[in-house]
Amino acid sequence: MSGFTLDAITVTRGPVRLLDAVSGCVEAGRCTAVVGPSGAGKTTLLRVLNRLEEPAAGRVLLDGKPIGEMDVPALRRRVGLVAQRPVLLTDRVADELRVGRRDLSEDRSLALLQRVGLPAEFAARHTAGLSGGEAQRLCLARALAVEPEVLLLDEPTSALDGLIATLIADLARDHVASGGTVVLVSHDLAVVRRVAHHVLVLDAGRLTGSGPPAEIDYLEAG
Amino acid sequence: MNTGLSVPSWTGVIASLLLVALAAAIAYRQRLGLTGELVVAAVRAGIQLVAVGAVLGVIFAHAGLPGGFGWVIVMILIAGQIAGRRGRGLRRARWSATAGVAAGTTITLGGLLLLGVIAIQPRVVVPLGGMIVAAAMLAAGLTLRGLREDAEHARPAIEARLCLGLSAREAFLPHQRSALRTALLPAIDSTKVVGLISLPGAMTGLILAGVDPLTAIRYQIVVMYMLLAATTLAALATARLAEHALFDHAHRLAPFSKPLA
Repeated sequence: MSGFTLDAITVTRGPVRLLDAVSGCVEAGRCTAVVGPSGAGKTTLLRVLNRLEEPAAGRVLLDGKPIGEMDVPALRRRVGLVAQRPVLLTDRVADELRVGRRDLSEDRSLALLQRVGLPAEFAARHTAGLSGGEAQRLCLARALAVEPEVLLLDEPTSALDGLIATLIADLARDHVASGGTVVLVSHDLAVVRRVAHHVLVLDAGRLTGSGPPAEIDYLEAG
Repeated sequence: MNTGLSVPSWTGVIASLLLVALAAAIAYRQRLGLTGELVVAAVRAGIQLVAVGAVLGVIFAHAGLPGGFGWVIVMILIAGQIAGRRGRGLRRARWSATAGVAAGTTITLGGLLLLGVIAIQPRVVVPLGGMIVAAAMLAAGLTLRGLREDAEHARPAIEARLCLGLSAREAFLPHQRSALRTALLPAIDSTKVVGLISLPGAMTGLILAGVDPLTAIRYQIVVMYMLLAATTLAALATARLAEHALFDHAHRLAPFSKPLA
């Protein structure tokens, strides 16, 4: 089981502080939700956890070890991130699932498709013809194929596909149930109340709240 | 076999300038706004070639082989600076381009000399070196531009691969391949049509100097193969070096300091 400790993380972009001395905990084997208004730094926080973003100050520990000292590709296989916008990398669905896991078996591919609510015949499809929602599901399956211990889920801001929010919540719950850790950025506060064990509230790059969902005022406001 | 050798006199050179005057006059009449540029380009080319001719004359007469190789090195350094501009905003773009041009030139020219295909003489090394450096410069510039464009436009795709645990090299490989294809296609295409669409420079020069066309093509074949090798090697070396500058130690795509030129 893998958990994070954030120690006064500051991320800057030019003169702007995307994250400002954020400290907190992501407990192993639990679902931590990150909430806050747009531009609060939620996505930046997720990117810090798999080192797509490097803090200007502070440090991040994974199971007590600084992630700055770890082999980066190995860290990213342990800590999988699913971005807000789906980006497909190959021509065929079956190949897409194997980008991060070349030895993925056919049975496992089909199981992953099923897991994200796509029918088995999708494996033979071209990725070019997929809808936005289908592409998002495929990106989730592609991340799961690597079998990460920690799942960082950045839920799409648009409510184009409400089913995606439900799917992400289900995946988060399943991942935790099987011993994994989840960090979920969500705009759907009902989902957060239902799924999260712990909530971090960000506002303008600062941590303004932290605790179990029942104690977070921000969730009540939604 | 220099029986038909005929080189224009300085009067002939000045007479040929009348053709530029004619072109400039037409450009002026058509209000193309290019008259000034045409004249400057013609005068500049004349001065540059006179200067280069004088320098080469001195090198061939006095500096010998070390002078010839020295001149090739100077060409590499200049070419690296020019090709490096194509990667504006990339870290160490000029260094990558210079090293790429140097690698392409050294291997190609060195190979030809070691295999005894061309003579080890300044009057052979300098002009052939110049052709090789020019081809390598074009390839390095196109490669850098392609890499830069791909890295900037494909950032989400590259980051998606990085997120799946791929190394920077693996994540960038599809984009590197496409940049290399773009950089190499012009050289490959011009090799395919050589002799059909245009009579290339070395062959033209030899024929003008009175050499039998069947002998001239032998030289031209060597030149084409040499240029193809230099182009490919320079592009590959530049891509490999620039790729290191695209990513940092944490396998993250570096931000670009300047917008695409």
